[in-house]
Amino acid sequence: MMNRLPALRGERGLTQADLADALNVSRQTVNAIETGRYDPSLPLAFAIARFFNRTIEEIFQAQA
Amino acid sequence: MSPSLTAPVKYAGRAYLVEICLTMGLYVGAVAARPWLIAHAASPGLATGARVLPALPIWLTFAAIWRYYRRIDEFERLKFLLSIALAFAIGSCAIVTYAFLEDAGLPPLALTWAWPTLAVSWALTSALLSLDKHR
Repeated sequence: MMNRLPALRGERGLTQADLADALNVSRQTVNAIETGRYDPSLPLAFAIARFFNRTIEEIFQAQA
Repeated sequence: MSPSLTAPVKYAGRAYLVEICLTMGLYVGAVAARPWLIAHAASPGLATGARVLPALPIWLTFAAIWRYYRRIDEFERLKFLLSIALAFAIGSCAIVTYAFLEDAGLPPLALTWAWPTLAVSWALTSALLSLDKHR
């Protein structure tokens, strides 16, 4: 799963740790999602989308 | 199951470390005190209680592990469960292998060695999986 998390994070000047605190997950989890090593569950995907005020599809795309 | 909202995930590891150190300290203390307590027990019932004393911190360790599991997020849970599954597999293989080697003449080990064997294999698998943490 590809995602725009690093770009969205950068727009807001957030570190991975900042985003992790906001979502109540570990920094390792944010890193794993951003690098594609882990796909978030639906509740976490919705939480990420809500945080960035985007839809899930605007943040996550299936790999071609 | 989401992480507990009453405890930020980022403090889960620290709290776990403190609780595990406490329970392991109690375990070591109980093991050390056990012979003296058995020898000086006022009754057979108290002697039995002294014999089983080290098992109580092990149950507290399980409680600390469960609390940690409840606090962490989904990705950390995945790694945590993977480390436990691997530890169980490796530890079980080691225990069964030694059991067969006892037939070949190796000294028999008490069942109390099962827990340290599983704990060491869990420490190894956790350490290996945590190498992933430093990305």
